[in-house]
Amino acid sequence: MALEATIMAPTERRRGLWSQMVKSRWAYAFISPFFILFLIFQFGPILFSVYLSVVNWKGLGAMEFVGLKNFTYLFGAGGKAFRQSVLNGFILFFMYVPIMTFLAIVLAVILNSEKVRGIKVYRTLIFTPYVTSMIAAGFTFRLLLEQKGGLFNIALEALGLPGVPWLESVWWARVSLCLLVVWGWLGYNMVLMLAGLQTIPRELTEAALIDGASPVQAFFRITIPLLRPVILFSVILSTMGSFGLFNELMALFYYTRGSGPMRATLTPVVHIYHEAFDNFRYGRASATAYVYFALIFVLAYLQNRYFGRED
Amino acid sequence: MKRLTALLITVVVLAGLAAACGPAPTPEVKVVKETVVVEKEKVVTQEVQVEVTKEVEVVVTPTPEPEAPKPTGKIVVWGWTAAIRDTIEASGVLADFQAEYPDIEVEIVYYAPSDVYTNLPLALTAGEGAPDVCLVENSHLAEYVHLGGLLDLTDRVQPYLDKMNEYKWYDCEKDGKYYCLPWDSGPVVMYYRRDVFEAAGLPTDPDEVSATIATWGDYLEACRTIKEKTGAYCFAHNKANNYGRLYEMVLWQQGLGYYDPDTGEVTADSPENIGTLEMLGQFWEEDLVSDALEWTDPWYAELGTVNLEDQPIATLIEASWMDVFLKSWIAPGTAGKWGVAYMPVVEEGGVRASNDGGSVFVIPEQSANPDAAWAFVEFCLGRRESQLKLFAISGFIPSLETTYDDPLFLEGDSFFAGQKTRKIYADVVAKIPRAGVYGPDYNMMNGAVQVAIQRYAAGEVTAEEGLKEAAAEIRANLE
Repeated sequence: MALEATIMAPTERRRGLWSQMVKSRWAYAFISPFFILFLIFQFGPILFSVYLSVVNWKGLGAMEFVGLKNFTYLFGAGGKAFRQSVLNGFILFFMYVPIMTFLAIVLAVILNSEKVRGIKVYRTLIFTPYVTSMIAAGFTFRLLLEQKGGLFNIALEALGLPGVPWLESVWWARVSLCLLVVWGWLGYNMVLMLAGLQTIPRELTEAALIDGASPVQAFFRITIPLLRPVILFSVILSTMGSFGLFNELMALFYYTRGSGPMRATLTPVVHIYHEAFDNFRYGRASATAYVYFALIFVLAYLQNRYFGRED
Repeated sequence: MKRLTALLITVVVLAGLAAACGPAPTPEVKVVKETVVVEKEKVVTQEVQVEVTKEVEVVVTPTPEPEAPKPTGKIVVWGWTAAIRDTIEASGVLADFQAEYPDIEVEIVYYAPSDVYTNLPLALTAGEGAPDVCLVENSHLAEYVHLGGLLDLTDRVQPYLDKMNEYKWYDCEKDGKYYCLPWDSGPVVMYYRRDVFEAAGLPTDPDEVSATIATWGDYLEACRTIKEKTGAYCFAHNKANNYGRLYEMVLWQQGLGYYDPDTGEVTADSPENIGTLEMLGQFWEEDLVSDALEWTDPWYAELGTVNLEDQPIATLIEASWMDVFLKSWIAPGTAGKWGVAYMPVVEEGGVRASNDGGSVFVIPEQSANPDAAWAFVEFCLGRRESQLKLFAISGFIPSLETTYDDPLFLEGDSFFAGQKTRKIYADVVAKIPRAGVYGPDYNMMNGAVQVAIQRYAAGEVTAEEGLKEAAAEIRANLE
């Protein structure tokens, strides 16, 4: 077969590719809906955004070319909110991602064994928060976390502990946000881990247990290393997630339009939203969005490089 | 056959996806068209003593009869329920309008203010989807005027320029053109609980209260007394989520603001601004104020507390439109226990007036029926009778100054133990100074200063440091 390919004339080879495409025209037709919509609604705006990032535009009226000013602005006095939002992204990441990922793995392992009764029920229960609206959940959490009269503080005070300023202090606001995010996303990450666990052959763990390893040892020495690609995937998604929290913030911190007390919980995505739609600075928002994209890209690349599979 | 089915499925999926990306479901829409029999204006007939048997009719109407045919068509009005449903509709003004303009169909869409401020700019920038008439608060008005997309109403508002509160025109003017018609103003007063004052040994008569608590220094003293004698907090001033409302009211009173309205220079870190924040900070330091955030449940709870033992909030510095909210849904159980006094001044000799809020109607350029839209706006807000009817059932004091001589303003209000509160509102409204608080960049300026206030309240920075940082951010933002 290979010999035939090498002695085939170039035109014949090219015709081979085209005829292959024609042969699969139905396949192309079926995947076309996504690509058409993607081109119109996502790729087009992405390109337009590049142009917007070098102008000042209010959404209506003239566009004023300003060169790289929108980018340099981010590093000056005006970019304080953006820099704070990036810092918040890192803080939030370290606050909830390790715990959530670990919990997700543990839950997945527990719910993977057939020994637990009613597995499907538990899986559904844990996954349900993911499919609820985060806005509705956020508003509910806000009522629960109300300093005077919220259920959490009422419960704490009933136990004799002092009430906590859940939404009124910098760090507690972040904790509240993490509570909401973990509640909403644990199920999703657990399902990811479950899928990953399916690829680990049972014999490996069984062999280790027969050889005298304790279940905990087996978990840490076998399961987790083999789950590495899935864990990496989940962590990269969580990174993007922690910088991109939006619904949760708008619901929890409604009165400061998502910033939280002293901008404690402002994320880059919420900041870009403010710039574009509250302050009518589409140019600056586009430039900020690209800087944000570059940041996430670098983070994901680094994570992949250092924690990815070493083959 | 299989291929055909598969192709059909693709088309259906594509169509479904396209439909899913379509416009959001329309919000609650209410079509209003009522025909109400209303007594038409009385026609005065004058018989002229002439040999001719002709009767000369002299028709007297409050406003000049339009020579052009009456506008027709359909208009869409956006606004919040408190203003449109509970005021324009409930007062009968909408019915009056329908009677006079039977060929104009009015469709009302209720949006909360935050939804208006999300949807209106999107519609303006998208070039479609905007209503014919939109209700906008003064705080956001200048932004939309400077954004563009609003209809130039300069010629139409000419007769009203000297009839409305002067300061209201400031936010809707750009390059000499006007883009709105003002509805109501927000004169700031001090609401106080008579029973709390009595228990603290303070005067309860409004004139005495205004005289005793004349400056913020007096106010501090009074708050200390109230805390000592009754344990109640003086007013609500949240720390961590403070969005600057009270601070803005006190700045406005002194003619200060985030920027100078004449030069445009940013003044957020001026010594006077810093001093004002420090003055408010004293109340935090001495724990004289509660931590409730405006428009949240704890805030409603402390305003609505009926019994003295449950420690209601002692005072509230807010605009006049607050009284109807107190009466109707926030604190109906406290009727008869409130009084209205003038707000204290920062320095002696200052004016005892400020502004918070107030709204206008604007007409987007996209409107297909600008004449009908203007007819609606003018009928509701430009006519004395309409404005008085609206004011009678709401706290929205008209910006239309020709209404102030009406006996309505001399009525006593039982919620305030019979006090003639409207007179005070009218008095304050006339004195509201010019200040650079609202403006085309209000959102951004308020956002930066909010953070400064929150950090100062938390003790992280001094007032000067916080405001200087905020001012630097604002200046960088404006370049």
